[in-house]
Amino acid sequence: MQAVYANSLSKVYDGGKRAVDNVSFEISAGSIFGFLGPNGAGKTTAIKLLSGMLSPSAGSCEVFGIDPALHPEKVHQIAGVVTEHAQMYGSLTGLENLMFYASLFGMGRESSQSAALGLLGELGLADAKGKKLETYSTGMRQRLSLARAMIHSPKILFLDEPTSGLDPESALSVNNMIKSLAESEGATVFICTHQLRYAQEICTSYGLIDNGSLLALGSLDELRELVFPGMRVSIKASKMAQGMQYKTTGEMLYEMDVSSEQGIAGIVSQIVSQGGSVYSVMSRQLSLEEIYFALIERRNRKEGPGNA
Amino acid sequence: MPNSKQLAIITKDIKSIAKNRRLFPILVFMPLLMSVGIPSLFVFIALYSPEELKDFEQMLQMAPTHSDDITTMFIELIINSIMPSFFAIIPVMASSVMAASSFVGEKEKKTLETLLYSPLPLKEIFYAKVMASFALSMAVSYAAFFAMVIVVEIELLLAAGIFIMPGASWLSMMLIVSPSISLLAITVIVRGSAKSQTMEESQQKAVFLVMPLLALIIGQFSGLLLVSAWLLTGIGLVFAALSALFLKSAMRKFTYEKLLG
Ligand SMILES: Nc1ncnc2c1ncn2[C@@H]1O[C@H](COP(=O)(O)OP(=O)(O)O)[C@@H](O)[C@H]1O
Ligand SMILES: [Mg+2]
Repeated sequence: MQAVYANSLSKVYDGGKRAVDNVSFEISAGSIFGFLGPNGAGKTTAIKLLSGMLSPSAGSCEVFGIDPALHPEKVHQIAGVVTEHAQMYGSLTGLENLMFYASLFGMGRESSQSAALGLLGELGLADAKGKKLETYSTGMRQRLSLARAMIHSPKILFLDEPTSGLDPESALSVNNMIKSLAESEGATVFICTHQLRYAQEICTSYGLIDNGSLLALGSLDELRELVFPGMRVSIKASKMAQGMQYKTTGEMLYEMDVSSEQGIAGIVSQIVSQGGSVYSVMSRQLSLEEIYFALIERRNRKEGPGNA
Repeated sequence: MPNSKQLAIITKDIKSIAKNRRLFPILVFMPLLMSVGIPSLFVFIALYSPEELKDFEQMLQMAPTHSDDITTMFIELIINSIMPSFFAIIPVMASSVMAASSFVGEKEKKTLETLLYSPLPLKEIFYAKVMASFALSMAVSYAAFFAMVIVVEIELLLAAGIFIMPGASWLSMMLIVSPSISLLAITVIVRGSAKSQTMEESQQKAVFLVMPLLALIIGQFSGLLLVSAWLLTGIGLVFAALSALFLKSAMRKFTYEKLLG
């Protein structure tokens, strides 16, 4: 069974804003799916649709076979949701907060406590478990929210911007925790973020959206295939060889695309044979960010100028 | 009856108000003022400056029983006819403070959304919160009632050697009016909770429930009417019917979209 299934899903808000526009995708169980796009793209709306907080205007979706619009409470039983607006109680300690949410899932005192202590340990909050939440830093709150969302060992986690508002170091550690928790618990993860760089570090597949519509779906390799599967080479050389397609990015700095490593060897030998000196060569594949912007550009070109 | 998950919400809500340094004192002192302070003041006037009683002549003329001892008659009237309408302010206040904290307070502190992601159906969350406010309001009301009976009877016994039984009006006050007026105040707060962004804003809406009570109090002192067990029972039943009606319609407005919007 697919973990998430969206079929021509659309949401039009009361004011007429088409926040999610005819979106279809499937997410297989166990994957870490990144739903990516800039602010206002419709990511939070998608999470609200999948968690049953909103009903679709058209189309439908399922989470492990359950329609969230019809049975939100059944989806909540198997899902953990972290959003910016889902806070916990400032006057309770970290442990008390987790135990309270565990009791809402029908967990007994003992299993609540052991689950809570286990998660607090894994998330680096063991020392803060007896401190009131109001004394926690933003990063600690975010980690406690993750623990809260995982307290009932959900099959799927919906995380809305889990690293936004965090400094790079905490963002990195939250990211790593999401990854290791997903692996150790075998949970499916649905992450919405506009921080494509962080997403690239942990996601196994992606849905790229802009303005409510899907631009592309697939793994990083599949997305590269859509744009440019080869490598981008940065070369520092005294001069560039004649008859090549390249871009000058600085003094003695050039950038070009090649389809394979063989191509790099060819470029270097041509520069040298034309009397140039090569000081450094770096090659890498397109990043998610570059793919995203390439797809946006391609779509805008297709739609024609003035339409973007 | 609440299930175990609802019980967790009810317990959490009651504990959180008990820990609230701003609201909890209100829930202690205001009922004590109404249930112990005001009747003690009247007892004091009746016993130590009986000449003041002439001011209450019109009221005394309406008294159901006439006795030669004007002091006893006055105290009896105060306890069984006047005090219930003062007392009714207690459940109104306790339940609206609690409901505002439980419904609007959670929205204000952004903890409501987290609750909505629990596996409890929205309806069960709604009723758990109504029950929490109701339970607290009844606990405060009964505590205030027993405090009043104990303190006032001791005062009367020590100062005048008399004993006055709380009458039938208290039976209807505690069994019908307090519960129904609590529920009514809760529904008023809950209905306004979708629109109110802060607790204070929503509590102000319960003030209109205090208005008829004030009218009742003024009406009695000016000799217009005297509260009886029958009148209280009637009022209580009207409130109960209204709150049942309002509760259903408030529940219908209690949707994820409205709550998060
Ligand atoms: N409740 C709402 N009513 C009307 N428009 C909304 C509402 N919520 C979001 N929108 C609009 O829908 C679009 C998508 O919003 P959102 O899903 O929050 O995007 P993201 O999470 O990707 O930043 C935005 O243009 C936003 O202004
Ligand atoms: Mg968002």
